[in-house]
Amino acid sequence: MAQTSKTPGPAFANVAFTNGYEFTQGSGYQLPEYPFVEPPDIQSGSVRRHAVVIVGGGITGLTLACSLAQLGVKAVLLDEDNTVGVKGASSRGICYTQKSLEIFDKLGIYERIARKGVQWSVGRTFAGKDEVYSFDLRQQSSFQLSTQPPFINIQQFYIEGFLVERIAELNRAAIEPIMDMRWQSRVVGFEQKEGFATLDVETPAGRYRMQADHVIDASGSHTPFHVWCGATLKAKKGDDRWCIADVRFSKRPPTERHTWIEAPFNDNRSVWQHLMADDVWRIDYQMAPNSDPAVVSSEAQVRERLRRQFGDDLQCEIVWVGPYAYRSQCADQLRIGSVFFMGDTAKVVSPFGARGGNTGVADADNLAWKLAAVIRGTAAPALLDSYHDERHEAAMQNVLVTNRTARFLRPADGMERVFRQAAISLARQHLFARSLINTGRMAVANTYTHSRICEPTGGQSVQNVAFAWGDGLTGTVNDLLKWAHNRLLVLVFGSLSPSAVGRLRQLAVTAPVRCVQVVGPDEPAQAKEHVRDPKGHLQGACHVFGHAWALLRHDGYLAATGEVVDGDLVQAIEKSLGL
Amino acid sequence: MKTQPNLSDADTFYEQLLDVHANLDRDGSELLNARLILLLANQIGDGKVLAECLAAASKLN
Repeated sequence: MAQTSKTPGPAFANVAFTNGYEFTQGSGYQLPEYPFVEPPDIQSGSVRRHAVVIVGGGITGLTLACSLAQLGVKAVLLDEDNTVGVKGASSRGICYTQKSLEIFDKLGIYERIARKGVQWSVGRTFAGKDEVYSFDLRQQSSFQLSTQPPFINIQQFYIEGFLVERIAELNRAAIEPIMDMRWQSRVVGFEQKEGFATLDVETPAGRYRMQADHVIDASGSHTPFHVWCGATLKAKKGDDRWCIADVRFSKRPPTERHTWIEAPFNDNRSVWQHLMADDVWRIDYQMAPNSDPAVVSSEAQVRERLRRQFGDDLQCEIVWVGPYAYRSQCADQLRIGSVFFMGDTAKVVSPFGARGGNTGVADADNLAWKLAAVIRGTAAPALLDSYHDERHEAAMQNVLVTNRTARFLRPADGMERVFRQAAISLARQHLFARSLINTGRMAVANTYTHSRICEPTGGQSVQNVAFAWGDGLTGTVNDLLKWAHNRLLVLVFGSLSPSAVGRLRQLAVTAPVRCVQVVGPDEPAQAKEHVRDPKGHLQGACHVFGHAWALLRHDGYLAATGEVVDGDLVQAIEKSLGL
Repeated sequence: MKTQPNLSDADTFYEQLLDVHANLDRDGSELLNARLILLLANQIGDGKVLAECLAAASKLN
């Protein structure tokens, strides 16, 4: 993939730190601003039909926009703001997990994230004055196969800004712009009929109307589309309250994640401490249940809390402060007619385990290739219904997991608190009890167990592992996916029978697939398109052994796996195209 | 879940169980019981057996 050296469009100024801060205004960060360009629709007065309209330029909407642009699918993105980052909202993502980083690698912004962000591997968990346990992620093997690390800490707006810049690059590289980025454009009206939707959009230059075959609602937890579409939700509200302080110290704490389940300097409530980009520490304080956000986020209170945590000689700048309350919520249907819900419009979870933003990124990666295939005509329109199957299952799983963490961190008075106390006291001495300590379970690439387009052998994510191209150079799964350009990838491991060679040749001609033979270091290759997997990492990542095939989708998920190149493979290909 | 006798010495276990609670107040006993449940659960390990035990304990009043 071509990497441009010049940064396009408005970029981030060096982060300016204000001496004070404005209450939940995010004044500590200087964010890029994007110009409003009057769309031709206003002057012409005619109503244009678009294949895809994305509503919302947060991390989810921008990931989808960037994916579609990369796949060459034209779309319009509407964002009510003129920047990335926060306007009034408080809680935002700071941790991007391996699957998201792999997606960002595919989109061409991973290197920038890795340069700007922070990686750590040591985490310590405390209760009271003592450490309950610590871990070092470098000792854990499950994440090691990927070319991306287990996670990177970085402020969400950086990733959003990188995506905007990447979209601008892709637009410039195309014959005509693919992604129509419309800032300061708020959707104020909606209706849908069979097969398309009509949107009314308000801009500084006036109002206009547009139509869309597919509307992607990535507008966040306050979306108007739930009401417009008659969406039903399952929601749960708690009384847990937190206060975030983004802080820069003159004397740096160690680059480790520290988590207090019960912090003596915070009235025995929880505290989180992580490092992000620009040497800024994000410190989350759990507040008394139902506390008043304005009071707990006042500068005097925040400074007092920091003094109690870091001592009287503390010198720090407060970059940003905001209170937050969370709820959990999941839409019952992620597709209603032409409208698709993704990111926080699909589900809202507590921040524990970074399962909000990361699953929004995965939502976008899931729908992008399906939209591209359907719009191109290489897959059936029914393929789009699998978006609900797969991402609703993921959403429900993430709601379940985060609710369990929330319950550990804010136990009900009575036995819930007693059990937590029991677990903490046991964990100091006994390894088994550490598995009960739930300060957040890191977001994972959720497996799909009942998708209409996956065989029971498929549904798992494949890590972005390295292998050797035929000429000996190193390649990765993402390189293969980009090369396949949204055709399904058939990886066949080991030597091929003559009949298998014939079938694969025929498949490559008749179906939107690319076939690649994967051989060991010394095995002779029979197919022109082949790669070498000397360490067996590619095979391991595909969850198969010995002679086998794996059918891989553009989102890095397996549609199916099998042993013999036969009718099952053909059937799996048809199924994964919604046929 | 086993419901047939499995304790090698039921009377001794029962006595030991009472003894560890002997000098505790209600809060102390609650905490001890909670620790004990977690330790014993780890001995069992199997999720299905644990779920059956939880259900059997909840059904009786």
